[in-house]
Parts: sequence; structure tokens; C-alpha cells
Amino acid sequence: MRIYGCLLLVLPFLVTGCGGGGLDDGGCDGGCVDNNDFLSAGDVQNVMARSVREADARGANATVAVVDRVGNVLGVYRMPSADTSVTITSPYPVDGGLEDLAFIPASLAAISKAVTGAYLSSEGNAFSTRTAAQIVQEHFNPGEVGQPSGPLFGVQFSQLACSDLTLSNSDAQRGPKRSPLGLAADSGGFPLYQDGTVVGGVGVIADGQYSFDADLSDDDFSLDEVIARAGAQAFPSPDNRQGERITLEGKVFRYAEMEPGDTRTSGNPPALGSLPGSTVAVNGYFNGTIQAGTVLGQPASGIRADNTFFPDRDAFVLVDGTNTNRFPPTPSPTGDLTQNEVQILLDQALAVAERSRAQIRRPLGTSARVTISVVDSNGVPLGVVRGEDAPVFGTDVSLQKARTAAFFSSTRAAADLQSGLTANYLQSTLSGGAPVVDRTIQIGDYVSALRNFLGDNTALANGVAFSDRAGGNLSRPFFPDGITSAPHGPLSKPQGEWSPFSTGLQLDLVYDNLVGHVAFVAGIGPSPGTGCSNISRATGAGPVDPLANGTQIFPGSVPIYKGNTLVGGIGVSGDGVDQDDLVAFLGVHRAGQRLGTINNAPDSMRADRIVVDGTRLRYVQCPFKPFNDSDAQNVCQGK
Amino acid sequence: MRRAVLGIVLLLPLLAPAAETRKGNNPCEPPIEQRKSLRLPGKETRELDTPCDPQRLAPPRMKPQKLPAVPDRWRIVDSLPGYSNNILDPYHRNVLKADKPVMGDDWFFLFTGISDTVYEPRRLPTPVGIQTTGDADQIDIFGQGEQTTFNQNLITEFALIKGDTVFRPPDWEFRLTPVFNFNQTETEELRVLRIDPRAGKIRTDDHAGLQAAFADYHIRNVSPRYDFDSVRVGIQPFNADFRGFLFQDNQPGVRFFGTRDNNIFQYNLAWFRRLEKDTNSGLNDVGEPLRDDDVFVANLYWQDMPVLGFFTQATVVHNRNREDDFFFDNNGFVARPASLGFEKPREYDVTYLGLNGDGHFGRMNLTAAAYFATGEATKGVFVDQPTDIRSWFAAAEAGWDQDWIRYRGSLVLQSGDPDPYDDLEEGFDAIFENPIIAGADTSFWIRQAVPLIGGGGVTLSTRNGMLANLRPNKEHGQSNFTNPGLVLAGLGTDLDLTPTTRLSFNFNHLSFMNTAVLEAARQQADLDPDIGWDVSSALIYRPLAIQNIVFRLSGAALLPGDGYKQLYKDETGYSVLANLTLTF
Repeated sequence: MRIYGCLLLVLPFLVTGCGGGGLDDGGCDGGCVDNNDFLSAGDVQNVMARSVREADARGANATVAVVDRVGNVLGVYRMPSADTSVTITSPYPVDGGLEDLAFIPASLAAISKAVTGAYLSSEGNAFSTRTAAQIVQEHFNPGEVGQPSGPLFGVQFSQLACSDLTLSNSDAQRGPKRSPLGLAADSGGFPLYQDGTVVGGVGVIADGQYSFDADLSDDDFSLDEVIARAGAQAFPSPDNRQGERITLEGKVFRYAEMEPGDTRTSGNPPALGSLPGSTVAVNGYFNGTIQAGTVLGQPASGIRADNTFFPDRDAFVLVDGTNTNRFPPTPSPTGDLTQNEVQILLDQALAVAERSRAQIRRPLGTSARVTISVVDSNGVPLGVVRGEDAPVFGTDVSLQKARTAAFFSSTRAAADLQSGLTANYLQSTLSGGAPVVDRTIQIGDYVSALRNFLGDNTALANGVAFSDRAGGNLSRPFFPDGITSAPHGPLSKPQGEWSPFSTGLQLDLVYDNLVGHVAFVAGIGPSPGTGCSNISRATGAGPVDPLANGTQIFPGSVPIYKGNTLVGGIGVSGDGVDQDDLVAFLGVHRAGQRLGTINNAPDSMRADRIVVDGTRLRYVQCPFKPFNDSDAQNVCQGK
Repeated sequence: MRRAVLGIVLLLPLLAPAAETRKGNNPCEPPIEQRKSLRLPGKETRELDTPCDPQRLAPPRMKPQKLPAVPDRWRIVDSLPGYSNNILDPYHRNVLKADKPVMGDDWFFLFTGISDTVYEPRRLPTPVGIQTTGDADQIDIFGQGEQTTFNQNLITEFALIKGDTVFRPPDWEFRLTPVFNFNQTETEELRVLRIDPRAGKIRTDDHAGLQAAFADYHIRNVSPRYDFDSVRVGIQPFNADFRGFLFQDNQPGVRFFGTRDNNIFQYNLAWFRRLEKDTNSGLNDVGEPLRDDDVFVANLYWQDMPVLGFFTQATVVHNRNREDDFFFDNNGFVARPASLGFEKPREYDVTYLGLNGDGHFGRMNLTAAAYFATGEATKGVFVDQPTDIRSWFAAAEAGWDQDWIRYRGSLVLQSGDPDPYDDLEEGFDAIFENPIIAGADTSFWIRQAVPLIGGGGVTLSTRNGMLANLRPNKEHGQSNFTNPGLVLAGLGTDLDLTPTTRLSFNFNHLSFMNTAVLEAARQQADLDPDIGWDVSSALIYRPLAIQNIVFRLSGAALLPGDGYKQLYKDETGYSVLANLTLTF
């Protein structure tokens, strides 16, 4: 009856009300993890046994995967009659992209869902694959027609096997590991928590379809979800960290369309060996033997605290098998940026993040935890740093974003895209046990479409500064974003061909490598190499793939300049997209103030000079109440 | 203004002054009707407290005269020279003004025409378009907040009345009130007025609404003083209390009403099913299906309770809402369910128990209201489960007249929800408010709908609404009991400078009752409850000292407090109204 207490306080003064809750809610806020916070092999069996028991109780046949927080596949279990292959499909008819591909190994779907649960979550937020579905569609919320797209529109095409950042089984248990289908939006992927910290994820597929929920207004039931939730019973996410306690634009994130008690089974599970099915090896992901997971932050996880470059920050870095920083601040091989410039850029961006009001974390009042990547003008990674407990997905995404800003701001972008690249869409089913090309998409056509759309034959060769937000405006199925009567963006597919499984240039650039990897795991094709886009750009330091882990099309990056000269890009991921924008943009600004050598794009070069049919592109959008320690607003204007 | 006029029309029977009491020649004799212990029409007169002065002059006594019998009074005038009908002159005998029957002996026609023109410059927190901006270099959330609205209503009212309208309630009344609206709003930012940013910064719209369409049947008289029972069916004005705190609207319904005990008691029993509104004019939209929302009302007014000159009213109002489909307003924004929290369609049943009063205690004018709302919803806002609703509201405004000056003090308390995540919704919300308190629409807070930028497609309070209820808008939205609540404390004064000129000032301090819901919606910690000071002034000028030509100019400023600054830019908001009302 807090109201009445407030009233009593109020009456004598007649002028004031009561404030809300404080910062400390007794839960973890980013620093909880210790050496005991990992999934043991027994824990993995426990999770799988609970899921299998629930599936059995429902007469379902499931494939269950368990991963640790950095994406190591700790176990994959297949019930006897479970589908070996599943079909990628949207809940409405779509032609193109990954739609209708019916030879996707079920194990890869389960792994991708488990990775998504683990990667999107942190001590501050528990997100599931259902959350992912909510934030990758053409409206946010899906169904709220007229609203712009989901804030993480396009995030599904990250963590790809072709990425030069994600790791594979050959890298021991170091992460972040690749996710075979990218991030999943199909219900049935949850994070696993222990002592308030994320220790992994569980993913289930039992319904044969790798899809997503497009209607958030109803009370949905998902077989995959209830089986996965059963699996997570012993490692539940804290109630006050679940997406439903976190808002964006006032709307809560969806965690599950069920209560934990809606499972049919509970209590200690029987031994896994007594349940129907068995573990199953997955080529390149799991050798068939259940293993324990890593502790995030220990070198074995591939992520540990920095001890060299960012002494004033809670900084974490990616390490290799010798515990050496994989992406330390490094000078550009072509001289774009010096090592010191990169270090200051990362440091200043991290400093902004540490002051920022988190949009996706609880308790309220905590700061944003993100990953920051800097690349040079050719997309060569020059440094990656993470905030403590930043969601793991943002690691690969931040590099995608940095590259996307540098690439689309480059005068060489058009030529690179017009270098004869193709995406070879496959028929939905195999023919004679092998995939067959259905039709071929010319990547260069996107350049023509963009130039027609903008009425500018020099687009992508004229040096306009494209942030991810600006490029994202052109990569939506509607332009302006969310307006269903509007035409599609030139880098997007049109209606009928667009879906989260068919986004346009973003997918087409990586399609062959993504699907090729799936075919390889399924044993029906060769392994594609590393590098997602197949672009080979000649530089003074040799050929590079400037989009080696693909592109990203949701906000959180800006190109970096020295005067009017493009020298690189900075990408930020892990919190709200406005926060990501803030950290990237202000990070460059403050580093520029420090260094005097680098700067944000001069105003006149920014993409927000481009207006199409009265619709102006956005450059960045900094959030309301950006900082926890200040009430300043509109902090980016004029910079 | 339109509603105010209609409200006055409705309330006229309640406010009609009691008939003068005739006295005998001896100034100290009791009134004649008391001497004869007769009950006659009109209100009973009570003895004055002061003793009668036998020295004072007795009032003149009319000597009864024999007059020729005439069938009705207007035919007397017909026979007098110098009287003519001019249908353009509302002040003299006019068949359009029900001064003379149009059919038979007692069918009258009444036409009223009102032109209501508003020009409204304002500045309030305004977001830039999410996916595009009007200008380059707009790289933050908060844009330019200057806006203007021009709104023209042409209210036409046609009434056909059967009965001798002077001496007793009419037997039949048929009333039709079409209102023709034109409105134009201009903003500095895109996507404020229409969801499609390509629609630009100016919105022009028009609408023809039906604000009344009813038949009123006088069922019976129940006493020699014309206590009565009536029924009114159709779109009709109704106010659930004295100041429009709960439900003040023109909606289709069936209403039984009447009086008892020489008008000491008045009652209403009513059922309304609400019409959809036109988004931009706020008028009824009869082209849309009826809303799946019912309001049931039972109330009783008790005159001179507890003291002479004070009305007390007790009421029970039940609101049943079954709107489980998505509804987008004319501008393309989702209105039901609100773009807040789960954004899942929800239904609710809420019962309001209210005790209201209006009148004066001696020289002190007082209006007061208290409501308790209890009910349940199929889903909460921030919880995906059934919820219970328990909330309350209290308001009082006291006034003191000193010669040409009236001093006012106002206090409004709206309960807020301290925990948006439990299954109890404890914020108060009304059904359709049009509050007349603390300066009413002169005030920035009441007049302007400040969007909760970054916190959902809702406003802190709706346009022409006082409650901090986080609804998308008043016209279409559902009630929302997961809200921060409000504490308003204000002082004001009305200065009747001349018979034609009134100047008013209002100083209101506003704060949220509890900011927990706002913190959840904005994902922002430790919001200060202080909204700030709402300072306003209004000048009302009636050049002819009558209500037929009224010019009103008001200006309000919201001086942001700490909480408001944490939500928005540190910028003073303003709200200016220039309003001309011409009535025929």
C-alpha cells in the first residue's frame, strides 16, 4: 500500500509525489560471474534430460542443444523420431532468401536457438529467441503497422560461420563461437542462468519449422518453447531480468508466451541415458561427447579482462589460445589510423558507454555494456573491446557495424559491389542428394537500384558518410521505414520477397557462404572458407574482404574521418540502438577532441543530406536521458 | 466550449432560480402559501435568520383585474403593435427560438447556432521522426516543439419541443446537433501529425459530427410541483459529476431521469454505448461502428445537503470494455491497445463509486469529488495476466468571493500505481474526462497532450484531460490504470474588472503521485516526481456583457520541475488559446 504512504507524505506539502525504485534490486548487474559459474557436463545432461522428458510427455520428438555463454556446443541430443531436417519458413508466403529451404539439419536449428538465448542475454537482461523475433521484423512491435522496424533489424545475420571474428571447434573452447544459422527468432531458445549470471543457452526444435512469431497480440503456444523452458528449469533466468521487465519505447520485450509452471514435467529428471534418443555429433560443432562449458571472462572462454590498454575501464578483450589479445589496438596496415588513435577511440567510446543509461538492462540506472570495434577504411579490424558482461552477440555485430559504416562511406563501395558478385539461391529441396541453384541474384543490381532510387549516379562512389542508421533506412522493406504504403528501400527486397529470412543485400552478400556452410555441415557440400562477402578489395597491404563478417543494417556505427578523408569506422553493439549510436558518435567526437586528428564526418558529408521524396535519411539518433550521472538531453547536437 | 454550452443546456433545469415568493401587505407576515399551508409550484422558502423589521415598507400588492381570456400568451403579443417576427434576431420574438409554436398549439422549434473558433500556438516536447527528420543534423530525440492549431466548429442545434415550455417540463423534445469542423495543425517536426512522415508538417482535416440526436419523453409528473420522470434516448450530453472528472460526453444511450420532493432529489439511470470519435476534431464519428464499451450510471443528487446551497451527489458508474481488436486512429497511430507494455488487447470491467458535491458553505464556494474505482482487467499493461483494479481520485476547489475578486484554491489527487509488475493496477483513470478545475483548458497540463517520448505511444495526460493516465489519446484510448497518478495543488483568482471583462490567474504545482510506472516505461531510474509549475492567465471579454459574443485569450507556461527535466529537454512549454465564440 505504498500509495497511501505516499499520500500521507504528500498531504502536508500538497505539492509532491513519490519517486520509484532505486538502483539495487538485489540481483546481478554485470559483475557477478565467478569461477563456479559454468555448466558442468552433468548440468548439460540435466538440461537435456528435462527437455527430452517434457517432449516425451507431450508426445513430441525434439532435438535439443545446449551451449555455454560464448557459444560452445556442450551437447546435442536427438530423440528417436525427431526430424533430421527442418524447413526455414516465415508465417506468411515469401519468395526468396532462405525461405523454404528444407534441408536444414535440425541440429543446426537447435544450436542456433541455444546460441541466441545465450548471446542476447547478460546479467542485466534475459532475452530469448522470442525476444529476437520481436526485434527483427518490419514493425516494432510486429503488427503495429506504421511503426518502424525492430531495433535489431538484421541481427539474425550475424555470428556467421564465415565471420573472421567468430571461432569454430578448432579453436578449443574459446569464443565467441559461430552460430550456423545466425541468430534465431524461432521460439524455443532460452538463456541458462546460475547465480544470476548467464552460463549458457538451450535450444529446441520439435515442430519441424524454423520460423518466427509474427503476431504478438495473441496468446501464442509454441511446442519448441515449452520444451526448451522445461530444459531451463534448473537454470532459470531471474524474474527481474527477463525481457518482460525491460522496455524499449515503452514496450516490454517478450521473453516467453508461457509461465514456467506451464510445463507438464518438473522436478529432478531421470538420467539422460534412460530417456529416448541419444547425443548426436554435429560436424564442426559437437563431437558427440557432452562437455562442460567455460566461465565467461576466463581466457579459456576467449574473453578476459584487459590488462594493458584500458586501465581506467572495465574492459574485456578477445584472446587466442596463447591468451594474447586477438584485436588489440593496431595501426592500420594502410596508414589510416595509428595504434594510439585506435586505442583512444576505443577508450573514449568505452568511457561514453560506462556513463550511458542502459536501455536493455536491469536494474534501472545501470550503464550500457557494449562491444566496440574499430576498422580502417578497408574494413580491417584495428581493435575490439568489450564492456564487462556485454551481451556476446554484440561482439561480432559491432565489427559488422564498423565495417558497414566504413564500407558504404567509401568511394570504392559501388565498384566492390559491382565486381561480379552473386547470390545463388537454392531450390528448397535437394535433387539427387545435392542442392540445386534456383536463381542467381546479381549483387551489383543493388547499386543500380540504389542509384535510381536516390537519383544519383555517383552513389556509393561519392564519399557520402553512411552510418549504419542511414544505410539501414535504405535496407528496410518500406521507405520510409514502417510505412506500408511506401516502396521498399533499394537495398531491401520488396514485399512478397522480404522477410527476416530474406532481407536483401545484407543476406545476398553472405548467402552463398551461409548456405554453403549449412550444406557442408549437412554433408552435402564443401566447406566454404572464411570471409563472408567474397569481395576482394586490393589495398596497399594486399587484398582484403572489407565485409569479412558480413554487413549489419541496424544502427550503431559511424565512419571515422581525418578532415574530409575517410579513415575507418566504429561499430557498437550490445545495448539499445540509440545507445549504440551515442557511444559510436560521441566516442569519435571525444577521441577527436583528445587527439585533434580524427573527427566525425563533416556535417556536409553526412547521409542526412540525402532526401528522397521528402524523406531524409537519419545519420544517428542519440537517446533520451543519455547519461546516468546527468540530466542533459540532446547531447549529440552540434557535434 | 461546445461541450460547455451543451452542459449548460442540460443543467439549466437544475439551476433555474426558485420562483419569487409573494408576500402579503404586512412585511412581517409569513408568506401566503404558508399561511394556507398550501403546496404550490416553486421552491419552498425558508425563514431568514434575521428578524423582520416591521418598519420596512410592504411590497406593493397587485389588485386582481379581469382580463379577456386568450388561448395563449404569444397571441397577446400578436395583437400588440410594434412586435414583428424577425428570424435573424434572436433577442426578440422569433419562431426559431421557440417563442411561438410552429405546429398546432404547443410544438416549438428551437435553433441554436454557435461558431467556436480557436487559434492555439503552443510549445511542448516533440520528438523528431524516428525514421526521418525534417532537417539535417537532427541527431537527437527531442526536436522543435512549436506547434499551432486552428480549429473551427460550427455547432448547429435543432430542437422540436412539445409543451408549454415556461411553466413545466416539455412533453416531448427532439434534438439534433450536427457540428461541422475544420482544423489545421502545423508542427516543426515530421511524423507528429500523421504516422507517415511523408504527410509533412501540416495536417488539414475536417469532419461533420453528431453531438446530439435524441428524443426526450416526459413520462409523468409525480407531484404538484412538477417532479417528474423522463426518458431520453439517443446521443445526448451527460456529465457524471459536476466538473467532468469521470465521464462527460455526448454519447448514445438511454437515460431515465427525474426529480422528487420538490426537486430536492434528482436522479439518473443511464446506459451509454460509446461512439468512436473523429481523431482530430474530437467529435463523434457516426460512420464508425459503435465501440464495444458500455457505461452504466446510477446517481442521486440531493439538494441543500448538508447545507442550504450545496448539492451532494452519490453515484455508481460501471464501465464495461470489450475492445479486443487493434484500432488505429485516423492519423495511423495505434490507439487500442496502447503502444505500451505488452501491447496486447485487453478488456476490463471497472466500477466507480463516487461522492460529489457542489455549491457553497456560507460565502465559501466549494466543489469536491471523490471516486473509488474497483474492477478487473483481462490483462495488465506490464503484466501478461489478469489484474485487479483498485484506485482512487479526490479533488476539491474552494472559492471565496470578495467584491469583484474570486480567490480559488484547488487540490487534485489521483492515485498512482507503485508497482507496474504486480497484478494490482492502482492508478486512477476516468472514462472520458473534461475537467473543469484549476483553470481547466487555460492550464498547459490540462490542455496539452505531452507525449511520453521514448516511453510508448502514450501521453502524460491527454488533450483536455488532467489525469496522468498514459493513454494514447482521450478520443479512442482505453482507460489505463497502470499510471503514475498526479498531485495538483493550485491557487487562482478571477478578477471581474468590468461587467464585460474578466481576468484570471492560475498557479498550479504538479507532481506525479508515483513514478514507478514512468520509470518502467522509460527504462529510467530515479525519476523525480516533480513535474513543475503550470502558470496561466486568461482574459475573457464579452463586449455586450452577454454570452453571445465571448472572446477569450489565455496563455499558460509549464515551468519544468526536476522530473520533467529528466523526461524532456529543460525547456518551458507554453499553451496559448485565442477563442471567439459567437452564439445565435
